[in-house]
Amino acid sequence: MQPRLSLSGVTKRFGSVTVLHDVSLTVMPGQVHGLLGENGAGKSTLLNILSGVLPRSSGALTIDGAAVAIASPRDAAAAGIAMIHQELQQVPELSVAQNIFLGASLRRMGGMIVDRSAQEAEARRILAPLDASIDVTAPVRSLRVAQRQIVEIAKALRANARIIAMDEPTSSLTPAEFERLVVVIEKLAAQGVSVIYVSHKMDEVFRLCQAATILRDGRLIGQVDLPQTPVARVIELMVGRELVHVAHNSFATDRVVAQVRGLSRGRAVRDVSFALHAGEVLGIAGLVGSGRTELLRLIAGVDRADSGVVMVNGVEVAGTSPRARIAAGFGLVPEERKRDGIVRHRPIASNVGLPAMRAFSRAGVIRRAFLKARTEALMRQVNLRPLDVTRPIGSFSGGNQQKAIIGRWLAAGTRIFLFDEPTRGIDVGAKAEIYDLIERLAAEGRAVIVVSSELPEVIRVSDRVLVMQEGRVSATLAGAEISEAAIARAAIPNRQTGTIA
Amino acid sequence: MKTVFSRIRFRDAGTLLGLILISAVFAAQSDTFLTTPNLVNILQQSTINACIALGMTLVIISGGIDLSVGPVAALSAVLGAAMLVAGVPVPLAIAGALAVGVACGFVNGALITWGGLQPFIVTLGGLSLYRALALIYTGGTPIFGLPDEFRALTNGTLMGIPNPVIVVGVLAIAAWVILNKTPLGEYFMAVGGNPEAARIAGVPVTLTKMAAYMISGLMAAVAAMILIGRLGAAEPTMGTLWELDAIAAAAIGGASLMGGRGSIPGTLIGCIILGTLRNGLTLMNVQAFYQLLATGIIIIVAMLIDKVTSGKEG
Repeated sequence: MQPRLSLSGVTKRFGSVTVLHDVSLTVMPGQVHGLLGENGAGKSTLLNILSGVLPRSSGALTIDGAAVAIASPRDAAAAGIAMIHQELQQVPELSVAQNIFLGASLRRMGGMIVDRSAQEAEARRILAPLDASIDVTAPVRSLRVAQRQIVEIAKALRANARIIAMDEPTSSLTPAEFERLVVVIEKLAAQGVSVIYVSHKMDEVFRLCQAATILRDGRLIGQVDLPQTPVARVIELMVGRELVHVAHNSFATDRVVAQVRGLSRGRAVRDVSFALHAGEVLGIAGLVGSGRTELLRLIAGVDRADSGVVMVNGVEVAGTSPRARIAAGFGLVPEERKRDGIVRHRPIASNVGLPAMRAFSRAGVIRRAFLKARTEALMRQVNLRPLDVTRPIGSFSGGNQQKAIIGRWLAAGTRIFLFDEPTRGIDVGAKAEIYDLIERLAAEGRAVIVVSSELPEVIRVSDRVLVMQEGRVSATLAGAEISEAAIARAAIPNRQTGTIA
Repeated sequence: MKTVFSRIRFRDAGTLLGLILISAVFAAQSDTFLTTPNLVNILQQSTINACIALGMTLVIISGGIDLSVGPVAALSAVLGAAMLVAGVPVPLAIAGALAVGVACGFVNGALITWGGLQPFIVTLGGLSLYRALALIYTGGTPIFGLPDEFRALTNGTLMGIPNPVIVVGVLAIAAWVILNKTPLGEYFMAVGGNPEAARIAGVPVTLTKMAAYMISGLMAAVAAMILIGRLGAAEPTMGTLWELDAIAAAAIGGASLMGGRGSIPGTLIGCIILGTLRNGLTLMNVQAFYQLLATGIIIIVAMLIDKVTSGKEG
């Protein structure tokens, strides 16, 4: 049988950085094909190339045996490829039928008037086998996420898609909704539509897929047949062997500086408790959506918890604003620096001094010379390059901005550093510097929490690792127990007990 | 050693250059333009807009907008005038009028911060609300007969400089100090530049925004006092379109309506540019319609120059 989709030797470079090396992928007609890998393995890049969002640097693409040139999302749609993103791309105020026909509306009277009734009839026809309960005249806003996904699939079918790629389609579905999605996907496959299914959830992949392609660090690791390949083998292929061990120095003490008890917020964070010690680096690992970032934001006072307490030196911290938490000794180094970290136009000194502006003032007037000198001293410690604290922070590289944010909390006398993806968007050289800084913070007796989706990073910096799964702590690993495989096993939900060998 | 000129910011120098160019054109066209009485006249006529624009600049820098300044001024004016006419001691009546302005600013700020509403909409509502209160209170008629003791304050001079110019000068220095020398100024720029980052860095965002709107209300009330002193009467309809002149002056002076950026000297020069334009065109006997046209063109040209040169100063 001829493959529906065949990618061979696909390489993608951004400047001098190669993010995909010579990746090949073969999907048969009517096959549900898993695309697996850790965060950063290259899955999204591959999907973006497939859907025409990114041009490929080299490599060939054939559909049903014919070479296809895809230079834009429009080309991809014309070639029969549809992409269903994790964040659904719909217009919430428009009706289901209008969304299904978005950009390809049915017309009458010489194309002057949109033929709503024809669109609605056609939408009803497409939706009938998928989910007949969806009202095609209702605004998409009024639908549940699972139904919106069905609408997105209907849109793909309307465009005569032969290949539908789904990026983490179940990240916000309940188990019952997943069961309904399984039925829909099986129907699609029976009609000969090929589905590329990206998911972290092993039980889903094993349930749905006949084959899976595994990527790691932008390289093709292999293709496996499912479900006959053991889960443990698949995880092993995803995470790879242990990286070269980088010496990890521990400065952890027995003195508890902070405690989190029963912290909860909605479904995102559920009853999380742990203690943090002076000089300790506590890693928090887990999949995207497992509640890591949300937990950190609760501790930092950025979001409000439904229940639970945060204690510092045995005393409950009153107040849930960032201001109150900063006064208690916390400081958040956020993942989204541009959005949550820096004030772009303001100089380094102003950004560094922001939480402690009063301390830098006398009689209500900022002592500029003092602020500048102190900032310069701190920036020398963190190795800001160039060392010019009067330049706007927005003109510095990501790594240097990160150093400035770390300096901000040093200036504020922060005792408990909360890092969210500390090296996201930072080049390799600066990464090592950030790791060294984290180690230095611990050596000075401060406590550090590091949330990261990069397992080697978590392993490198942490004395202890909390693994989160669906809002809860699923494992606490310390010392020799910390390994990529152990973290991955605790992070990945496995509803089919017993499949892990 | 830093000279005075190297301390002037690039953007402010541009605004100043614009003022000099416009003045040069008028000086060439009219003999009376460059005389001391006329220049003092320009400053005096710019005081009211300058007063409003100083508050507006702080609001814009903090990421907001205050469309209600004109009606806030009118409400402070009629209530202040009523107190003066009723025989309340002058300092007390002025304090009362200023308190009215601050109170209006407090209401705006409260609706924006605690109410979570958009500044544009809140102050647009305020634009009608405060005007209505002024009209209802007076029944639509002006309040006449302000005591001479009060009028002498605004019509007097100190060493040949009109008192209002001195008052605005002092307020401008105060605004500059707040913006550049105090934590509150850093907070204005941080909250306007990136409110979420400011919040996470522990900036008291709510208080910062409240302060901006209360200062804006205060400045509107000061402008009201200057105007009713000059006119000798308080009209409930005064202050129409003041908000637009003030926003124009701030924008010409380099304030970004996206928040986070603006300059007190720039705003002052912006006010003087607008005042100069009106004065010069009047001296040249240009019809009022064309004066409006010229004002519009100046604002748009200033913004275009801004767009083209942006990025030269971080």
